Amino acid sequence: QTGRYQFHSLAARTLSLFIVQMKSFSRMFLKVQMPWNVIIPADSLDAKGLMLKKAIVIRLMDEFACKKATKDRGYFMAVTTLESIGEGRVRQNTGDVLFPVVFSGITFKMYRGEILQGVVHKILKHGVFLRCGPVQNIYLSHIKMPDYHYVPGENGIFMNDKHSKIDKDVIVRFIVIGTKWMEAEREFQALVSLEGDYLGPVS
Amino acid sequence: MSGEEEENAAELKIGEEFLKAKCLMNCEVALILEHKYEQLQQMSDDPMNQVSQVFEKSLQYVKRFSRYKNPDAVRQVREYQLAEFELCVLGNLCPETVEEAIAMVPSIKTKGRAHDDDAIERMLNDLSLIKKFE
Repeated sequence: QTGRYQFHSLAARTLSLFIVQMKSFSRMFLKVQMPWNVIIPADSLDAKGLMLKKAIVIRLMDEFACKKATKDRGYFMAVTTLESIGEGRVRQNTGDVLFPVVFSGITFKMYRGEILQGVVHKILKHGVFLRCGPVQNIYLSHIKMPDYHYVPGENGIFMNDKHSKIDKDVIVRFIVIGTKWMEAEREFQALVSLEGDYLGPVS
Repeated sequence: MSGEEEENAAELKIGEEFLKAKCLMNCEVALILEHKYEQLQQMSDDPMNQVSQVFEKSLQYVKRFSRYKNPDAVRQVREYQLAEFELCVLGNLCPETVEEAIAMVPSIKTKGRAHDDDAIERMLNDLSLIKKFE
C-alpha cells in the first residue's frame, strides 16, 4: 500500500524522495529540473500529509547544503518550485517510503569561454586568486595578464603601465579558460585570463 | 582541465539542451535567493542551518553584481530577442559600447541573426535607459 496515511503507522524512521527527471545545463545561473533522493523523518508528517511539501523543501535544501555541487550540474543554490509529488512507495527492506518528485532549482557552473566578474582575494608573485559566487578557487596567472607586472611590497600587487592596479578586493572581469572538478572537495577550480578586449580590473 | 569541447560559451556551441534551458541573470537570481531566504526564515525554526555556504556566497555575489534592482526593470531586460545566455551576459556586464558588447558576447555578431551594429547600439541604449529609470 502506498497511501499517504500509512506513514505514522510505519516503523519507518525516514521517507525517501525519489526525484525524477534531471534536465540541466549550466552556465552561470541556470534553472533546472533535477532528480534527487531525499530522506525525511516520518514524524515530520501529519496524518493528512499537509506538511509534506514543507518537509520536502527543507530536506532538499539540507541535501543541497551537504552535497554542495556535482561535476555535471555545478553548485546547487536553491529549490525554486516543487513541480509535482507522486505516489509514495514503501521500500520493503528499509521501511522507507519513496516519492517520485520533480522540482526546479538553480545551479551555478562556469564554462570555458565565459566572461565573468570576480573579486581578488590573494596575490602571489606568479598570479592572483579570485572568487566568483560559490567558486572560491579561481587562478589568474601572470602569464595571462598581458601588460601587468608584479610590484613587490608588504602587500604585493599587479600593475600595468597605465597604473591600473590589481589588488586585494579589486573586481576583475576575466574570461574562463578552463575548469576542473575536484571530487574530494566537491568543488570546482578555474583558470582564467585577461587576454581579450575589455578584460581586467573594473572600476 | 575539463575537456568539454562542446560547451564553449564564446561560440555559443553549448549544446541544444542548454539553449532550451533557462539561464538566469544575476539580478534575477538575487530576487529569487532573497525570496528563498525569507521563505526559509518563515518555514524553519533554524534558517541558518538551511542556508549553506554556497547559498550565502552566491547571494552575496549576485547582490553585489546585480545591474538591475527593480523586478520590472529585470522583466524588461528579459524581453529582448537574444539567446538566453547572451541576454544574461549583457544583462550582467552592461557593456557601454558596441565593440565592448561584441567582445563580451561574440555570438551576437557571428550567429547571423541580423544583429548589425546599429541594432546592437540601440539595444545597449535601451538597456541603459532601463537602468536609469529603474
